[in-house]
Amino acid sequence: MGKVWVVFKREYIERVRSKWFIIATLLGPVLMGLLIVVPNVLAARTKTSAGLTNVVIIDATGSDLGARVAKSLATSMPNAREPRVRSIKIERLADEEKRATAEVINREALGYVVLDANTMGGKEMRYAGRNATSLVDIGSLERTVRQSLLNMRLENEGIDPGRVAVLTNVRLETKTEKITDRGREGASGMASLFFGYAIALLLYMMIAIYGQSIMRGVLEEKTNRVAEVVVASVKPDILLTGKILGSGSVAVTQVLVWLAMSFLIYLVRVPILELFGAAPAMLGGAIRIPSVDPLVGVALFLFFILGFTFYAALFGAVGAMVSNQEDIQQAAMPVMLLLVSSIIFMSPILLAPSSTLAVTMSLLPFSAPLMMPLRMALIAVPWYEIIGSLVSVTVGSAIAIWLSARIYRVGLLMYGKRPSLKELGRWIRMA
Amino acid sequence: MADPAVRIQSVTKRFDATLAVNDLSLVVPRGSVYGLLGPNGAGKTTTIRMILDIIVPDSGSIEILGQPHLADGVSNRVGYLPEERGLYKKMQVRRVLRFLAELKGVDAKTADARITKWLERLELKTAEKDWGLAKVDELSRGMQQKVQFIGTLLHEPDLVILDEPFSGLDPINSQALKDTIVELKRAGKTVIFSTHLMDNAERLCDSVCIVARGVKVLDGEVAAVKASRGTRNVALAIDGDATGPVRHVLADPMLVTRMDDQNRFFEIELAPKADPQELLRKVVAAGATVRRFELISPSLHQIFLERVGATGVEEGMSGHG
Repeated sequence: MGKVWVVFKREYIERVRSKWFIIATLLGPVLMGLLIVVPNVLAARTKTSAGLTNVVIIDATGSDLGARVAKSLATSMPNAREPRVRSIKIERLADEEKRATAEVINREALGYVVLDANTMGGKEMRYAGRNATSLVDIGSLERTVRQSLLNMRLENEGIDPGRVAVLTNVRLETKTEKITDRGREGASGMASLFFGYAIALLLYMMIAIYGQSIMRGVLEEKTNRVAEVVVASVKPDILLTGKILGSGSVAVTQVLVWLAMSFLIYLVRVPILELFGAAPAMLGGAIRIPSVDPLVGVALFLFFILGFTFYAALFGAVGAMVSNQEDIQQAAMPVMLLLVSSIIFMSPILLAPSSTLAVTMSLLPFSAPLMMPLRMALIAVPWYEIIGSLVSVTVGSAIAIWLSARIYRVGLLMYGKRPSLKELGRWIRMA
Repeated sequence: MADPAVRIQSVTKRFDATLAVNDLSLVVPRGSVYGLLGPNGAGKTTTIRMILDIIVPDSGSIEILGQPHLADGVSNRVGYLPEERGLYKKMQVRRVLRFLAELKGVDAKTADARITKWLERLELKTAEKDWGLAKVDELSRGMQQKVQFIGTLLHEPDLVILDEPFSGLDPINSQALKDTIVELKRAGKTVIFSTHLMDNAERLCDSVCIVARGVKVLDGEVAAVKASRGTRNVALAIDGDATGPVRHVLADPMLVTRMDDQNRFFEIELAPKADPQELLRKVVAAGATVRRFELISPSLHQIFLERVGATGVEEGMSGHG
């Protein structure tokens, strides 16, 4: 009908023109891009300090452990100077430590390592220096000392450390792959887990944000008294329908723009990461996007539209129920709880997507729009469950719209205190 | 053209414990200016909202321009100015107006031309400043009222319904509104407006309906309503303040049943058997210099006070007006 279109057009255009929408739409992918780039950059920054070899090794073990450590450190960093090794008697340890401390203070050394009988026993080593808080440096030192000690012990037993290294080198990795009705998917299981999670969260986010913006929009029309003018021209259910369709389309527009921009960022990710100083080699593990069956895509879209309609209608009714901003959050609580309850069950369903809980949650109208897409991303859900879920959400949405339109019609012209449940019931009968 | 503009038949509306409108019937002739009069809380706004299908009556039927008021396309022929002005604050004036016009089935192009015409006419678009391009909340209250008024008339409705249009208007805008109402009538439109200001109604309306506490007190053409009250009223004007003896004469229940004392002007309702000549003689004898003594039909104001009474005005002030 023509008037739905007029309401829809206003809702869509005014929202898309708003500064808030433009900023959120443009910044969304940038933020998401940063989420990908920043960890990479941080990872690139967490290399061992260049001056790690500039340390004093105080060797009170009476063995050649100090020399071995120094050699090993020097090999790992070919361009740096070799650590100074001071083999001493245990009685002179205190004096040597004092001397090394002075060197660190004068910036002649980065720090010093103490190797003693405890180290030989494989229990502990000590390190003091300016980089004592760098977990990476300490870890690297620790590995070097451990390996040197191990080599020394093996040689003492007459075993070639080189042979040991070769024999003990067992690096086992699991490459996962999903098999669906169409056969092997290629993408890893982790990727589809991540994908399912992302889809459900995105749906949740869009429903929460846009549902509440409808609620505030309705309240605004009510407090501005625009509602009365509009309702004199169109039926309240047409106004509500137009608003839901308009806001929903804005949400879809935003997601589409985000997807397009994310894809672009994905295409140019290498130069961007280089710009941030991450080595191209670190991008070897390219992010693989799981392939999506077109039918699954259609189902996802339907679930989004229906789920959005369901919650938008309820939020719209809440907006019509109250008369001021203070009351609105409280009045929206039941609807928010319904929405959040589906998110709470996300983790158990992620772990067991075929459990009774998962099946139930994906059939209830309020949680199905989030849970069914999640399950569909994880496993091949039987088609009859998908149909059942869609029917349930459709019926749920129809009921939600019917109830909301009635509350909306009466509520739009009621000012004053928030209605009780009993009064709400009367409104529904009255309209 | 035989069908009236609006025909309301025994309409009742109850809000919880309050009976807002009780068994109300009225007929608004086409091409007339019709006043819906009554104190605050009389049920005027509820009646108007029911005509516009904003509120559903509990019982009764409403016809607009010969069709049931719910029929398709009927609302496109009605223009409505609510008591509380309502516009989208963050929207540009022109876009709001185009939206309101499109809601009534006017296409955007036609709407734009009419918007320009109206903005110029109401001086919202001048050589220096085009308020049409501003956002609604940048406009003063008076300008917003003009915008709302434009929104009411953009689709050139056959029936214009104005809820308390005079409240809050300064004398200049008030006069402009009266002129527009007269102009609409001349163009063959029907105008219904509600008010509690009887003077405006008496001068503007062809027909009126007085309601109080949700019940119709009387209705009909203004001339007929006044004529039915006979000419038992006297307009009396004197020079200077009324002295004690004059007041004594006017307080005589044998001569005067009711009097609207406006200090130097009195509208007097004669007692049933009283002779107006005797009243004039006694007033002159009491020493008053009479500037005017005329037998008149009672004013709407007098009829209203007589029929509704002071209590009707006092009670039921709150709630749905």
